[in-house]
Amino acid sequence: MIGLLLILFLSSLLFLAVFAGLAGQGRWTRAFVPGFLICSLLLGLGIAGSCFLNGRTINLDYSGHLPFALGLSMDRLSGFFLLLICGLGIPVALFSASYAEHYTRANWKWYWSLVALFILSMVLVVVASTIFAFMVGWELMTLLSAGLILIEGDGEDRRRSLFLYLVMMHAGAAAVFASFLLFVPYAPALTLAAMRAAAGSLPAHLRVVIFLLSFAGFGMKAGLVPLHFWLPKAHGIAPSPVSALMSAVMLKIAIYGFIRLTFDILGTPQIWWGYLIVVVGIVTAVLGILYALAEHTLKRLLAYSSVENIGLIFVALGLALIFEARGLPILAALSLTAALFHTLNHALFKGLLFLGAGAVKHTTGTLDIEELGGLLPRLPGIGISFLIGCAAIAGLPLLNGFVSEWLIFKSLLHGSVLEPDPAVPLLIGAVALTSALACACFVKLYGITFLGRPRSDAAKYVVAAPENMNLALVMIAAACILFGVHPGVALHPLSVLAGTMIPNPTSPPEIASISRMMPLVAAAIALLVIVVLLLRKPASRSVNTWACGLPGLTGRMQYTATSFSKPLRSVFAAVYRPERKMDLEPPDEPYFPVNISYRSVRTTSFEKTLYRPIVDGVVAVARQLRRLHTGNIQTYLLYIFLVILSLLVVLRFA
Amino acid sequence: MMGFVINIVQMLLLVLAAPLLRGIISKLKAWIQKRQGASVWRPYANLWKLFHKEELVPNTATLIFRSAPVVAFAATVVAAAFLPVLHPAAFLTLDGDIFLFVYLLAIGRFAMSLGALDGGSSFGGMGSSREALVAALAEAPLFLVLTALAILARTGSLSEIAAWTIRQNFFDVSTVHLLALAALAIVAVAETGRIPVDNPTTHLELTMIHEAMVLEYSGPSLALIEWSQAIKLNLLATLMIGLFAPWGMSLTVTPLGLAAALGTYALKLACLVIGLAVVESSVAKLRMYAVPDFLRVASALAILAVIFTAITKR
Repeated sequence: MIGLLLILFLSSLLFLAVFAGLAGQGRWTRAFVPGFLICSLLLGLGIAGSCFLNGRTINLDYSGHLPFALGLSMDRLSGFFLLLICGLGIPVALFSASYAEHYTRANWKWYWSLVALFILSMVLVVVASTIFAFMVGWELMTLLSAGLILIEGDGEDRRRSLFLYLVMMHAGAAAVFASFLLFVPYAPALTLAAMRAAAGSLPAHLRVVIFLLSFAGFGMKAGLVPLHFWLPKAHGIAPSPVSALMSAVMLKIAIYGFIRLTFDILGTPQIWWGYLIVVVGIVTAVLGILYALAEHTLKRLLAYSSVENIGLIFVALGLALIFEARGLPILAALSLTAALFHTLNHALFKGLLFLGAGAVKHTTGTLDIEELGGLLPRLPGIGISFLIGCAAIAGLPLLNGFVSEWLIFKSLLHGSVLEPDPAVPLLIGAVALTSALACACFVKLYGITFLGRPRSDAAKYVVAAPENMNLALVMIAAACILFGVHPGVALHPLSVLAGTMIPNPTSPPEIASISRMMPLVAAAIALLVIVVLLLRKPASRSVNTWACGLPGLTGRMQYTATSFSKPLRSVFAAVYRPERKMDLEPPDEPYFPVNISYRSVRTTSFEKTLYRPIVDGVVAVARQLRRLHTGNIQTYLLYIFLVILSLLVVLRFA
Repeated sequence: MMGFVINIVQMLLLVLAAPLLRGIISKLKAWIQKRQGASVWRPYANLWKLFHKEELVPNTATLIFRSAPVVAFAATVVAAAFLPVLHPAAFLTLDGDIFLFVYLLAIGRFAMSLGALDGGSSFGGMGSSREALVAALAEAPLFLVLTALAILARTGSLSEIAAWTIRQNFFDVSTVHLLALAALAIVAVAETGRIPVDNPTTHLELTMIHEAMVLEYSGPSLALIEWSQAIKLNLLATLMIGLFAPWGMSLTVTPLGLAAALGTYALKLACLVIGLAVVESSVAKLRMYAVPDFLRVASALAILAVIFTAITKR
């Protein structure tokens, strides 16, 4: 029964993609398409909920009837990730209904068609039980999101960013695929069940290779440093609802793949796997937030912050592997629960913030936070929800981000009490630094964008945000508050899910203790706030801001985002290595210049030291290979003859 | 039941005695500077006055501006519920509340930084930018100090750490504690905005950090901010006492024991306050860009403390 519903869900998405592409565009269609998408996502949400919460399983195999191996299966883990996709898909669809209104007819069709297919491809990855279906979904996910990026124009810059995105995604897919193919001798069917059964009989060195390949492949999709390079470029230029899907959901699909392969299929890790992941994760987190701090374009900043959060998730995953390898299942379950909960939380607040960025773009026309300011009174619904998102991502208590960060800290503390070496406690310092920087970064983002005075006419004369957008943001903000004040709702099922992958006798005590504590703290703070508000004199008088006695302040006299982050940027100058260039005009008159131009370009060291040599190497090899292509048909015939000859030789003696 | 009452009393003590602590520090500084100084009760009078004044709000400000001080105050008071004062237990405890405690203080900072930016002048932005710098660099050493002590005590709860420390021999001084205390002292100075990191009495735009953030505030909101700041100072002083010198806390709930505990607590607090007054009167405020170096010292000490836990653990 529930299997049929799953089929119905998948086919409804497919139907919608075709329908949106073919139908005319009356008012009726424009209302029907988003509405239908939301309805089918609600269906998906129901299926996901019943698998994730109640432990229902689905197993459908159509390989016998089809020329290719198509099988679908669902368990708690797939249920959880399907929940993420559908749960985020609903506000995104609601938001898009207004966002896509200004598109041309053709773009509107493409947009909805591709969005439906994009969601379908992500669903396919998490419900696939055969590697064939998994890889089809995986590749489609990349290509469809690339198609969606092209909807908002295809200028030279966008093409370059998109090309980088595609190249890196395909390199990642190759690594993922290779890690699956290594199972072939042991599990020829290449289904998840067969691979799980065969995992025990894999030779040790093969397990290591599989692990490393999957870490590289999934890590590239998730945006781990130094493979994060594509992420801000691609997420920064996509239409905002698509950025929300990419950052909040698509990155999590990579987490799904990694958890599925490493925890569910491979099992029994070695300790150094965990250390490797933790180190890569913490470097990713710290660098990600430092880069985010220096960004002044709303969506690029959010994209770098995704890099940071992915790093934190991998720190928790790595700790889980370390604890599992050390034979401490309860602690491993704690860390895995922390990773899964942070995955959920990041999906929520990052979806919220990207949609908020979309609303800002929609109403003001710019994403440059130096041009914004004073948006809160003009867009109250968006502004308040965005504030909740910022506070949640900064890890403040009473919101969901805090609970998962607390769980990560707690896992690290357990690790430090047990570990003989001081490296693990030092990680607490690194995570604390990350979280303090995140706090600074989001104070900057929110304060400069939404508070103070408008810095340009674009921010001054904004159009009102459509109700759909407000509703979509408020929905997610409510979820952030719910999981922050009453984390038990999510934590208990998540710890059960963690228990399915790490056989552990009892649920970690932290789950219960934090679930009891947060409602208390919330009640105490709420009570105090109410008391103070009741006692405080309500009257206040509105006056001009103090301007040192001058007639008036303008928007340009405020602190900008650049000046806000300047002290921190100068402390961490070693990371940024900015290239500054100052031109005086005329150059021979330093004291009375007519014109001064100043430029500061920040190219990350990765670009120079890591990517450039690889790209140059590939180009050099390609140049050599080009010599083979003479365009002379006789030469090509000679190549074919030589290949056949060598094949015959190989087959004769092999 | 009795324990519960004491937990509430010690929390109220932290909140209500906080302005007095500020008054005493000012008085001591005045004495050191050969001045008469204001009465130690002056901060209470000041709060009373501010609470009854009319509040002036900048015309650009939104609801964030007026709610920030309230949120900051509430979060700071709730943080007080986690500290052991008279006996090694607190109103709220959780294995891992060392992290929750720090994050509750962070709520106040986040709210106040946004409130400062809401005023729409460049002072607010300047203050909040500098506060972000200090906070970002102070957070890591603070966490490391707490971690080092948690590793030694094998628990992540402030009250449990205090209870463990009481059981240790007073004269058995460990390197970890010395390093951690030094680091925490620096962090506490930075977090509460005292000299040499920030000067709570300055209004010079080149140097002020916290004062720049609250420049636009007046009336009841300013009262809440000043009170929260006083509580925060009291919290960090009590945190140092609870973590490093909890001896004297009453292990049994008897009137005599509690009176003795209150006496020793006041004595320990007095030592800290005198130290702070002497430092504030004898040291100049650091240049803004020397503050990161000062905090790096704290980080280095905290890292050493953590490394030493690994050595001394077995």
